[in-house]
Amino acid sequence: MDLVAAVPSYSRMGMAGFRRGERPSIRRARSGSVPDVEQLFREHWPRAYRAAYLVVHDAAAAEDIAQEAFLAAVRSLERFDARRPFAPWLHRIVVNRAIDWTRSRSLRRELGGDLVGEQPASSADRTAPVSDEVVRALATLSPEHRAVVVLRFLLEYTPGEIAGVLELPRGTVNSRLRRALDALKDSFEEEQA
Amino acid sequence: MNDAELRQKLLSVHPPDELQAERRSWNVVRAAWETREAYPAERRLSPLLAAASAAAALVVLALTPVGSAVGGWIKDTVVGRPDARPALDSLPAPGSLLVSSAQGVWVVRADGSKRRLGDYRQASWSPRGLFVAATVGHQLAALEPDGDVRWTVTRPQVVSDARWMPGTGFRVAYRAGRSLRVVGGDGEGDRLLAPSVAPVAPAWQPIENHALAYVDRAGRIRLVGADDRRERWRTGRARPALGLEWSRDGKWLLAWSPNLIRRYASGGQLVTAIRVPKRRYEVLGATFKPGTRMIAYTVLEKTTGKSSVFVYKRNSIERFSGLGRFTKLTWSPDRKWLLLSWPSADQWVFLEIPGGVRRIDAVGGITAEFYPGTGVGAFPLVEGWCCAG
Repeated sequence: MDLVAAVPSYSRMGMAGFRRGERPSIRRARSGSVPDVEQLFREHWPRAYRAAYLVVHDAAAAEDIAQEAFLAAVRSLERFDARRPFAPWLHRIVVNRAIDWTRSRSLRRELGGDLVGEQPASSADRTAPVSDEVVRALATLSPEHRAVVVLRFLLEYTPGEIAGVLELPRGTVNSRLRRALDALKDSFEEEQA
Repeated sequence: MNDAELRQKLLSVHPPDELQAERRSWNVVRAAWETREAYPAERRLSPLLAAASAAAALVVLALTPVGSAVGGWIKDTVVGRPDARPALDSLPAPGSLLVSSAQGVWVVRADGSKRRLGDYRQASWSPRGLFVAATVGHQLAALEPDGDVRWTVTRPQVVSDARWMPGTGFRVAYRAGRSLRVVGGDGEGDRLLAPSVAPVAPAWQPIENHALAYVDRAGRIRLVGADDRRERWRTGRARPALGLEWSRDGKWLLAWSPNLIRRYASGGQLVTAIRVPKRRYEVLGATFKPGTRMIAYTVLEKTTGKSSVFVYKRNSIERFSGLGRFTKLTWSPDRKWLLLSWPSADQWVFLEIPGGVRRIDAVGGITAEFYPGTGVGAFPLVEGWCCAG
């Protein structure tokens, strides 16, 4: 079974449909229509937020990351080429910021621990107990590997599209996917055992 | 496990607080979108607007309801009011001003009499004006308005920005170094509330919930319970605000920074964001119009060095302008006068506001009033105006 090849392209399955419906919506949004901006937000928020969460495993940070990505998108909407799909543009921002956030958190730990005051005070409340087996399994991966899994299986991009989003060679994407899936498979088997 | 199963597992993960996060974020994104139209980027200004009084035009265009008027007392090229009283012989409204200068903290009564409370750097009134919380160096002190010390708290760090809880006055919040602390109104029970905060005075929510808003080092505004330390809400990361203020009914929180004025609902939803192009303009201060959720604010136009104050009326915005920076906006306790500090003119300007600016009462020679002997020093800062009746 080829896990990488079996999932259809997001651009073929989803984005084409989005594009047709999205173009007029983006045009109206540019002309100031709040309902159309809201439609874009409601359409894309759940995946963006979930993608960020699955990479960073911190709900407060995921909210910040997704929110900042939307703000960046809104600020740049007038420069956005409406012929292109909106989602990859947004997801590129979300996933790259999520990777950066996770790396910087790891770096702070290496340097002697997080500064208490710079942690979200509510992060303990809002970071779910890692009860879900998928979240636990993902936690064993590096942020870069989590990102390719999320892009491939949650957001349904092809490896070629992921290479574009993360600005990586396609071969690197494929090897990361393969390693990530092997590790996930081991984790799930351990869980079941 | 195949691809579809993995995808289903990923889709089945629901981050905690998902709906609330969506709601909060939509409020932020909507506000950003709505203000985008109101404040076009500087490069998109028309030559006409750029040539005219652009800061005023932008702000007023953005905030004035359709068909409303912009009036007021526009003296764009004047430093100071020529008709200013030469000395501070009285205040135009009841109550007492609390003022700090490099020579200490002062109370100014309505009849113009002044009393120096001691060698403190900052101060704030207790809710009914019965006490003053003053800070200097490592010490926080509770004073009576005649300067008698009721109690003190000393910390290893430099303390500042003491704020008395509204209503009961049972707590005083203050900053100690990078941390935020709370002590009882009797000086007992001093404790840490937050270990790392931005250098911004905290703001108590003026309802009986003992909740305090502050800005953390990442620029988030947080509302926390002073007793249970439970976080009620927080905003996303942002450039730290320079000032926080609750409306008197506790329903709205105002946060301002050099290029952005934000208004939040009591639940943390962003409801208004006024963005100012940063290359040309700088927000110098903002405050709620008492008893309303309207905002009075002052903006400096960097290219001309001119400041303008904007105050809402029912259907219009009043504007007062002058050369130099306006540093502080302070409402009188009876809510009828707005005190404007104008250091470059060495004046305080009192604007009578209800129903629109009706009278202007300016007082000159302010610096000398608070530097007896030398008459020279940094312009005094108005810390508060309390209390009517």
